Amino acid sequence: MIAVLGLVIGVVVGLVVQPEVPDAVVPYLPIAVVAALDAVFGGLRAMLDGIFDDKVFVVSFLSNVVVAALIVFLGDQLGVGSQLSTGVVVVLGIRIFSNAAAIRRHVFRA
Amino acid sequence: MSRMPEKRTTREPDARYARPDASMSLLTSVMDNTLDDGYAEAARRRGEYGTSRMPSAGRGRLVLAAGLALAAVVITVAGVQSHKAAPTLAKERQELVDRINTAGSSADRLQRDIERLRSRVATAQQQALRSTGEDVRLQELGVLSGTLAASGPGVKLVVDDAADAGGTEGGTDPREAGGFGNSGRVRDHDLQLVVNSLWESGAEAVSVNGQRLTALSAIRAAGDAILVDNRPLVPPYTVLAIGDGKQLAAGFRDSVGGRYLKLLQDNYGIRANISAQGNVDVPAATGVTLRYASPDGAGTGGATP
Repeated sequence: MIAVLGLVIGVVVGLVVQPEVPDAVVPYLPIAVVAALDAVFGGLRAMLDGIFDDKVFVVSFLSNVVVAALIVFLGDQLGVGSQLSTGVVVVLGIRIFSNAAAIRRHVFRA
Repeated sequence: MSRMPEKRTTREPDARYARPDASMSLLTSVMDNTLDDGYAEAARRRGEYGTSRMPSAGRGRLVLAAGLALAAVVITVAGVQSHKAAPTLAKERQELVDRINTAGSSADRLQRDIERLRSRVATAQQQALRSTGEDVRLQELGVLSGTLAASGPGVKLVVDDAADAGGTEGGTDPREAGGFGNSGRVRDHDLQLVVNSLWESGAEAVSVNGQRLTALSAIRAAGDAILVDNRPLVPPYTVLAIGDGKQLAAGFRDSVGGRYLKLLQDNYGIRANISAQGNVDVPAATGVTLRYASPDGAGTGGATP
């Protein structure tokens, strides 16, 4: 219940506040979105696996976002930013897909 | 996607059974390790592996809610951001398109101005010269020098690369593997020979792919492209020549260039087709400047482009 409340609060805050994203951060936003989705799916799967831990969830989410942004930032400095963001998206995308598949197996038993 | 993380973490490399996919360990771990190992570790530490479905304590729930809220904020902000950016991007694009259109239409207008002024100049010139009977000669010279567009019977010669010509890697021998690499490609030298043979066979005006040739035109190559007066051409090369159609075609077939072209056809698969036409139009040459003029005292002078 409180989890759903958190989700709703997050969406509402994002919509109401509409923070002005600094231009320097804009390129990392898509990466942050993918990292966030990865953390959410990972947490959901862990919950269904029965090994959920709230601290791990939050810390893994934050570290995912930071590391992904760092990799892309490094790539930007080296001139291969787009390739590295593709790499990050591919790796996180694979994780999202397999976690989503595990969740599906839990929920539908298929 | 094993659901037994502890098995994964205790897997030791066995010297006797080398994994066949050992060289792909990075890919394998990406595919297998989809769940953060921290979850399994934390659960084992608490000793409630497989049972902790939801945080029960108030603090844990709060942390979970905060994390979810953070994730939701990130995703929402990204969505809002791209939603906000979309009209701006579209607007910028539209502005660029508008600028291109404006510049294009103004260039068209200027081109029309040029054409109008040019025809006025031509008319004025003819009127001025009509009294002396020089206008006919001017017309003739204009056609021959390429400053006037011309139309009349002639031939149409289409030359194209061989059907299988493609690659452009090359060595040094011009025909076997020159700058044009594949021997099945038409080269600037071929086109020069063909055009010169057309002149030889009695062509009065020649154009290649819409580029009128004058006495000063150059057919050259740069990289892989054939240039006529520094403008790159795209195959197939359409050579239009004004002259007595049938005679010109027959003359060309017997000329050096005609025989050379036949050789290229037979040996290299270059495609060529010549046909007499009732009427061909060749445009006026662009960029012809008056470089030399002398008073027409002896009746032999005149202007050369």
